[in-house]
Amino acid sequence: MKILLQLFEKVRPVFEDKGVLSPMKPLYEAMENFFFAPASKTLYAPFSRDPLDIKRYMSMVIIALLPCVAASLYFFGLQIISMIVVSYAAGGLVEVAFAVIRKEKIAEGFLVTGLIFPLVLPPATPLWMVAVGCAFGVFVGKEIFGGTGRNLFNPAIVGRCFLALAYPAAMSASWIEPGSGLTGRLLQYVTGSNVEAITSATPLVEAKQGVFADTLHLAIGNISGSIGETSGLLIIIGGIFLLLTKVSNWRTVVGVLGSAVLFEAILHGVNPEQYAPALWHLFAGGLLFGAFFMATDPVSSPSTNQGKWTYGVLIGSVAILIRNFSGYVEGMMFAILLGNIAAPIIDEIVFSVRLRMLRNE
Amino acid sequence: MKLRGGYNLKIEGRPGGFLDKASLPETLYLPLASRSFNFSQICTVHGRHVVVGDILARDPDNYDIPLLSPCSGQVDLESTTGHVVLHELSGDESGVQIKYDDAKHAHKMGSADFERHKLLNLGAWEYVKDAYTGQTPDPLSTPQAVIVSTIQLEPFLVRGDVLLEASLQQFTRGLEHLQSLLEYQPIYLVLPKIKTDISAKIKEHIRGYAWVKTIDVPLKYPYDNAAILSRHIGLKRGDGFIWSLNADGVVAVDTALTSSKPCVERVISVAGPGAKHPLHLRLTAGYPVAEIRKRYAQKHAVAVDGGILTGQLLTDDIKGISVDCKGITFVPERQSREFLAFVRPGFDRQSYAPCFMSSLRGLFAERLTNSVRGEVRPCVSCNFCEEVCPAGITPHRLHKLIYQDDIDEIERSRIDLCIECGLCSFVCPSKIELMHEFQEAKGAIAKEKAAAAKREADAAQQTDSE
Repeated sequence: MKILLQLFEKVRPVFEDKGVLSPMKPLYEAMENFFFAPASKTLYAPFSRDPLDIKRYMSMVIIALLPCVAASLYFFGLQIISMIVVSYAAGGLVEVAFAVIRKEKIAEGFLVTGLIFPLVLPPATPLWMVAVGCAFGVFVGKEIFGGTGRNLFNPAIVGRCFLALAYPAAMSASWIEPGSGLTGRLLQYVTGSNVEAITSATPLVEAKQGVFADTLHLAIGNISGSIGETSGLLIIIGGIFLLLTKVSNWRTVVGVLGSAVLFEAILHGVNPEQYAPALWHLFAGGLLFGAFFMATDPVSSPSTNQGKWTYGVLIGSVAILIRNFSGYVEGMMFAILLGNIAAPIIDEIVFSVRLRMLRNE
Repeated sequence: MKLRGGYNLKIEGRPGGFLDKASLPETLYLPLASRSFNFSQICTVHGRHVVVGDILARDPDNYDIPLLSPCSGQVDLESTTGHVVLHELSGDESGVQIKYDDAKHAHKMGSADFERHKLLNLGAWEYVKDAYTGQTPDPLSTPQAVIVSTIQLEPFLVRGDVLLEASLQQFTRGLEHLQSLLEYQPIYLVLPKIKTDISAKIKEHIRGYAWVKTIDVPLKYPYDNAAILSRHIGLKRGDGFIWSLNADGVVAVDTALTSSKPCVERVISVAGPGAKHPLHLRLTAGYPVAEIRKRYAQKHAVAVDGGILTGQLLTDDIKGISVDCKGITFVPERQSREFLAFVRPGFDRQSYAPCFMSSLRGLFAERLTNSVRGEVRPCVSCNFCEEVCPAGITPHRLHKLIYQDDIDEIERSRIDLCIECGLCSFVCPSKIELMHEFQEAKGAIAKEKAAAAKREADAAQQTDSE
């Protein structure tokens, strides 16, 4: 490893202020600090620091998503890999471009966005749409607000929303029947032209016509749907891992799922013929994936614990409202976007209550 | 207020339970400026021979707190800037008796204040701080309460049990002396919530002291902080001083008032992951830092004045131990850059968030270096700082307000409640210097307030003269 470190030391002058490639310094720094722990030392108290850094923090999300990615390869085919690669390339390009222009460091946030984004798309989405969607999501959802840490919306949702509104026909023609048997679709590369694999129906679409898929299928994941969101059990496993590492906050997750289940249970209790059981809705569509991986994004959700409860309940109930009482079949995307909009306001309210309570101190 | 937040760091290098006595060095370097005092008024001359307890300098901003000569020796004011240097030391302890006539405060005090005067001039008053401001309280004032802590929860500082083991008798006598200075105000005695030998002994000793109220505190850093405890008890900020002192302060009170001796010896800890043998050391102020470093530090270690969380870097300009030093912490310098550090399983890492495999392994002490262990990144609102904050403020929000430079809003968000415990900076995965930012912001607010007050005073003067 010494050789690599020496190599980095050697080329460093090229990227320094007067070097030939000085505009590309963020890229160089990102590479160097990817391979080697940064050289910085503490100047102020505390003189030692916790080993957790943002790289590790974000890596936890990627690890938590791996079961879903593996399942999607089995159910939907190898094109998933190229979608992930394209998504990373497009998102990374926007991120790097902004880092270079702003002369700031490249933040690790796009490592998560780049993976989550394809997972919320239909499995046969054309690659160019993946690229456009991810670039749009990172650009509009994140960079124009000032980059990582300052974004109002979850960039993956912004990208997904853009595609859903801009190319509704193409999107709804990109669902795939899940593979089955020993290898599933592990050896296939499915595209939109692959007619026998394509289906137009997801469980939520069918539910509008009164056909309910088996809840067990929804839990296991051998059902049509977005890439990462079909297998409820694997999402729960990954999500719980994320909760245990404290990267995501259990209050948001419990808020979303609890309110959605409760709301749906009441609806089902009132009119069991029109509204599906709560458990069915829990596993159908993107509710679990959204609750565990998208709503918990720390930047775009409220930062206070009390705020997270409110935010979770807002998302869960709005998702169920949209699913049952609107023309859209899936409500999670709009619910989270709405939650993102409300998040700063919720936070402000919590803060002002807190400061009021501190007034006598 | 309920006790909240807090976090116990597990770091290698806690001082052991024994107390060592440092031998008399050849030269003492007494720094004129320390963390809480600035002894700008020199009271001695170059070349004078002084004895133990002679006043070398005073701090005019802190009620003339004296800098006492810890030994007999020859004063040298010229060789080292910012220090009073003592040569030709001898350790004969001919304790001087302070005469009432000598008192600078004499004209404004009656005989009832004699003891307070003694505390001040025999060096015991420097152990007393106001709980909320951390400043030296007025020795002639009557406080609303006294908080005496027998525990020290910041890693690497002097442990209360070590101090008390050696001087329990003096401690209880010191408490009585403190009580005699008060009218009816209570003394709150902070004890660990767990049962220890020493806390049982203390409880035995103070049985029947109606004026002592004990507070059992869970052993979680920084619950021993005087400001946190004052809020916990419900003492109000505006109701006057709250004297807070540790066990060593109470023993110093006893030394000054029972035997009328100057309090020049103190116990400090020499510890931390970069120390050879972490221990407690009894020495006097002015003990050369170089000597301590030579004897107790490992190679390539940074010296910190104070604990690892709240200390200050000991630069080479500071040659000796200051009068308010609580301990020296040695932190090893980071030597190599780890390859692919962030993907390592991390069995040997101790983290606030269980993101490393070490969380499967249970608690252990990690050997930390002075590496920041990551790059500075924008805040992602992970909320860790808010969770550990014992003061109930929201560090990440303050950080954003400081970034916006919105001083009014920073003040409204109660930055004044920050006790500068350092936990937020420690746990921050984005490696933001939160505590340092808050210290700077507090400084800026104080400056602004002072400027505003001056403007007002000037304006008032102007209208008067008109």
